[in-house]
Amino acid sequence: MGPEAVIEVAGLTRRFGSFTAVQQVSFSVRAGEIFGFLGANGAGKSTTIRILCGLLAPSEGHACVAGIDVARDPEAVKRSIGYMSQKFSLYLDLTAEENLEFFGGAYGLGRRALRQRGRELLARVGLRERSAEITGRLPGGMRQRLALAAAMLHRPRILFLDEPTSGVDPRARQSFWALIREAAREGVTVFVTTHAMDEAEFCDRIGLMADGRLRALDTPDGLKRSFLPGEMFHLELSPDRSIDALASQPGVLRIESAGAAYRLRVEAGRFDPEKLRALLGPAAVRVERVEPDLEDVFLEVVTQARGEAVP
Amino acid sequence: MGTGLSGLMAVMRKELRQTFRDRRMVAILIMAPLIQTVVLGYAVDLDVDAVPTVVCDRDQSPASRALVQEYLAGGTFRLVGRAAEPADAERWLDRGDAAVALILERGLGERLRAGQAASVQVFIDGSDSNRALVAMSASTQFFVGRAARLSQERLSWLERLQGRSLAVPRLTLEPRIMYNPRLSSPRYMVPGVAAFLLLLVTTLLTAMGIARERELGTLEQILVTPLSPMALLTGKCLPFAFLGLIDVAGLVAIGALLFDVPMRGPLWLVFAGTLVYLLTTLGIGILISTVSRTQQQAMLGALFFMLPALLLSGFATPIGNMPGWLQPITYLNPMRYFVEFMRGCLIRGSGLAELWPKLLVLLVFGLSVLGLGALRFRKRLA
Repeated sequence: MGPEAVIEVAGLTRRFGSFTAVQQVSFSVRAGEIFGFLGANGAGKSTTIRILCGLLAPSEGHACVAGIDVARDPEAVKRSIGYMSQKFSLYLDLTAEENLEFFGGAYGLGRRALRQRGRELLARVGLRERSAEITGRLPGGMRQRLALAAAMLHRPRILFLDEPTSGVDPRARQSFWALIREAAREGVTVFVTTHAMDEAEFCDRIGLMADGRLRALDTPDGLKRSFLPGEMFHLELSPDRSIDALASQPGVLRIESAGAAYRLRVEAGRFDPEKLRALLGPAAVRVERVEPDLEDVFLEVVTQARGEAVP
Repeated sequence: MGTGLSGLMAVMRKELRQTFRDRRMVAILIMAPLIQTVVLGYAVDLDVDAVPTVVCDRDQSPASRALVQEYLAGGTFRLVGRAAEPADAERWLDRGDAAVALILERGLGERLRAGQAASVQVFIDGSDSNRALVAMSASTQFFVGRAARLSQERLSWLERLQGRSLAVPRLTLEPRIMYNPRLSSPRYMVPGVAAFLLLLVTTLLTAMGIARERELGTLEQILVTPLSPMALLTGKCLPFAFLGLIDVAGLVAIGALLFDVPMRGPLWLVFAGTLVYLLTTLGIGILISTVSRTQQQAMLGALFFMLPALLLSGFATPIGNMPGWLQPITYLNPMRYFVEFMRGCLIRGSGLAELWPKLLVLLVFGLSVLGLGALRFRKRLA
């Protein structure tokens, strides 16, 4: 057995009227893990996270966070977790420092402890020089880092981050993920939702949500292996040429179009770039072997889920 | 183990910072009520004097001239012109250049001297009912007084003529208006203005303040902290309650300095009553916030409550003048009790012994509304 599970979810369901946002979701997250929750908008990620934070009561099922049943004692859960919601939710008319002071007070931190912890976190997220600035005047990336600092003030064991990097430029994203990894190294469990597949690669394990159900759960490599067996090729064809010649070949598993380019998945060992060139003839502009990425996994999972949904 | 006190302090500090950082907000909270009191105090001055008057003296005798002069001397009527014919005088009224026309017929002096009955006509423009009423009662008072004097003069003359005294029974009315002897309307208005401005400031700000946190998502961020809903509500309300007390202090000072409000009652009672009233206004603000998703909805909700509360409080128009079916409804209006309380305390100089029933009603209102608001607030979060 690995390290203890800090989040345990079994048969979790949440309905809003006749709409089921989360359906029979079960998983567990180990201490110190970066657990990614992937899915399109409306797949049930935020609802799950809000149940785990004690903001929403589950309709059915159980959720234990830090050993506490969230439905039974949501107040006790709040002390062990930090939460960053999808929407920026600090006060834009307060300075960075005043925001930390307020949330520190809300967590019951004493004045001295708060001042020290605030300084430490502001330095860590790179906001020491701008701590006296009004939050509304800070650029988006800094605001997100400030929100992370606010969520970490009380040294939570678990961090719930709901789309923390949405609307932030790529460089700011990188520095944000560096902070997430740093927290994880210190033993904080990070539960993060995203729909950016490149970010998902940074996660230790990933849960894939589609239509309120957890469709897959594994490490990024494990997901690729189980959902995308075989080999992947990236093809570019000259315009107006069809890829139909390949579709009927034995051993071709799937062809996804992405604009003028295609992603081709085939059984292992049956094709190589030369053979594909020969098959496509002069239409082939570019043919190369590629590693599958999580985008491919996600498309595959969603396609399979659709297939199940339509009997 | 709770974060009760430190959380409460944090919320209060945050509210004060946010409020005072916004200069316009400070202006709205402190300056606006004071300016409004001054404006409302002067604008709703219901006192009537210098009513524009046109005189048509067709007699032109010493007696008629004396009558006109005395009629105008009281200050209620101000001469704006003279008319040769009653028809001309009526035209003055039609044009709105005069509100009262005094018509003295030819031969008036002659008839009076001869001991005969004579009549005087007064036309009054009734489109402003309050002014018409005042003009009417001033005219009545004047001419009844003159008539009594004329009879008295006649009587003395008869007595001298017959060499014996003639006893005639006489009844005189001696009205004495208590507490507000000059019937000054700002005195009557200032307590009502205080009640309204407190409602405006505290209810609106509380409702919008909570709705804003909900709208911006900061409420959700607070909800994942162990901060209790009670600490959150208390921390949000206390600064507004404090501002309300400052506003009342300013209002009372303006009332005393500019409008001569007598300030008869004990000051501590004014503030104690205000505090009790604030329970209600803050509670209503919280209640409104629980049914609004956005600041705009909260603002409209607050207005929806405030206007009827204002009109049914007896703030400017006496509740006794309202239609019979409407009057009982005013008992459900907390503002009514506060207006009455303030009038009692500031103008009549009543103390706790007389005013405790109103305070008790306000306290019951306040505690129930506040309790209901807090309960609904907590429920909506869950």
